Amino acid sequence: MLDRPALLDVEGLRVRFSPKVEAIRGVSLRVERGQTHCVVGESGCGKSVSALAVMGLLARGAKRSAGHMRFDGQDILNLSERELQKLRGDRMAMIFQEPMTSLNPAYTVGSQMAEVLVRHRRVGKQQGLDRAAELLAKVGITAPGMRLAQYPHQLSGGLRQRVMIAMALMCDPELLIADEPTTALDVTVQAQILRLLRDLQQELGLAILLITHDLGVVARIAHKVSVMYAGEVVESASATDLFASPRHPYTRGLLACVPVPGTIKRGEPLGSIPGTVPRIADGFVGCGFRDRCAYAMPACAIGVPQRDDGAGHRHLCHLQ
Amino acid sequence: MTVAIEVRGATKTFRQSTGVFGTDRMIRAVDGVSFAVEAGSCLGIVGESGCGKSTLARLILGLLPVSSGEILVEGQSLADMDRKSRARLIQPVFQDPFSSLNPRRRIRDIVAMPLQAQGIATRERASRVEEMLVRVGLPGAIADRLPAQLSGGQRQRVAIARALVLRPRIVVCDEPTSALDVSVQAQILNLLDELRRDLGLTYVFISHNLAVVEHISDRVAVMYLGRMVEQAGTDDLFAAPTHPYTKALLASVLTPEPGLGIPDVGLGDSYPDPANVPPGCRFHPRCPIAEARCAVETPQPRDLNGHQIECLLA
Repeated sequence: MLDRPALLDVEGLRVRFSPKVEAIRGVSLRVERGQTHCVVGESGCGKSVSALAVMGLLARGAKRSAGHMRFDGQDILNLSERELQKLRGDRMAMIFQEPMTSLNPAYTVGSQMAEVLVRHRRVGKQQGLDRAAELLAKVGITAPGMRLAQYPHQLSGGLRQRVMIAMALMCDPELLIADEPTTALDVTVQAQILRLLRDLQQELGLAILLITHDLGVVARIAHKVSVMYAGEVVESASATDLFASPRHPYTRGLLACVPVPGTIKRGEPLGSIPGTVPRIADGFVGCGFRDRCAYAMPACAIGVPQRDDGAGHRHLCHLQ
Repeated sequence: MTVAIEVRGATKTFRQSTGVFGTDRMIRAVDGVSFAVEAGSCLGIVGESGCGKSTLARLILGLLPVSSGEILVEGQSLADMDRKSRARLIQPVFQDPFSSLNPRRRIRDIVAMPLQAQGIATRERASRVEEMLVRVGLPGAIADRLPAQLSGGQRQRVAIARALVLRPRIVVCDEPTSALDVSVQAQILNLLDELRRDLGLTYVFISHNLAVVEHISDRVAVMYLGRMVEQAGTDDLFAAPTHPYTKALLASVLTPEPGLGIPDVGLGDSYPDPANVPPGCRFHPRCPIAEARCAVETPQPRDLNGHQIECLLA
């Protein structure tokens, strides 16, 4: 079925921060060229940690292992820090939720953008600035020349996120990892930034791994979706499939929680998921969702089967 | 209809320093806003960041004085009330339960604080705190914990218990669910709705999340750069938004429906700056239907099919 390997192929990723607690328990993700793969879940489910683990940006002391982790067919699990640095910011780039904390407040937009190219491509500063101006224009910033000379605090939230995106594109990456890129923005600006990401993807053939808690964002931009819960991917499918026929009780619960404008019946309670996410310590077996699940049965405490409908819709549950 | 809150031409200006040699700029965060909230109902206020919705919440709570205009609560002027009687009438629930609870105090003491401030005896305090914690769905064992030992949803329940322990008539909720996960957000919204009906409370509910506002409010006001540009009943507003800004806001909501794509909101790239309010209609630089006169004439509030709007063209 696949002639060319997926751009990013992660199998059985595990991350632990302390000897007793495993934050990521066997996550598998594939991101195809030119597509958007969304990882969705609530805080603490491990979606950001998974992204950081792929980029090799975990905090010191964190332990990472995987069946395999490949970028464009090449193993990236056992790269040295130097080899990783070459890859990061060049062929794979990352943007974060809060652009104010990821931009350096002491440098102008132009100098921090140019630095990316100066370091990776060994070009002169002026060449870096030219490329920066070109990309600022591409992400829809008017008067890029003026913006290059400004400091991050002089920009609005939406502009800062555009600068972050432009900066990530400096070396023409093949993969962009975006961790909650629109969460800190107003809805009106969110729509603009997502349109920008989609347009850039179509123009540059960019693969995007987008991490979000917002099912609205997922529905509108994703080709593939992975739903994470308590350190595992509990369901993955194409976006159309997932929203049309969610299979895992957690995915269904999550969808019921979101008030959808136009279908709201006031006075009726929203769907909600009772309880909270459990702490998964070592020796935990069975389904991590069973304490909150309306369909839990004794078998859920023993193990969970991975189900696959053969057409790419997989979920982790006893129920079909 | 009994009016719980009446706001008449409320204005709040702040002075923004522009450095040692610059002349200070005046920012009108709230600029001549008028509305009334019926007792027992919920008014939702929506708008982008910087539109003045949180400043308005602070004015209604009496945490900031108005620069001009007047706010009446149950017929009494807020300015004439002392802090204690104000606290018995109106209470806040803020966005971030991580910073609005004192990290060094036990939950029991946090919820008892408003009672203590009113000089209520220790024994009565204890029983009322206990009763309130049960009412917001927290297990009794939580009373002796510290905020850091609680989840986000539990903390927001504590903030709600603290707001309701004095049995106020009005609660001002400023983005009460914005810091929470969707599954927890739904739990908190359901709780707030249930409490309002059971206790006959009046809510002012501020949020940037339109779906949340639609779910909980009877009436909705849309703010833009310090003005209320549209007010209407919730069903009317969502079924037939009239002001071009309201239309753009509603169009930008991403519902979980794949295949619809990402909407083009049509607002352009300019972003509103409260220190630099455009002349004429303040929305005209971003308005998709603006005409030449919108840059000159200031729209006055008028009634259109039951919507109160400020627009020259709609």
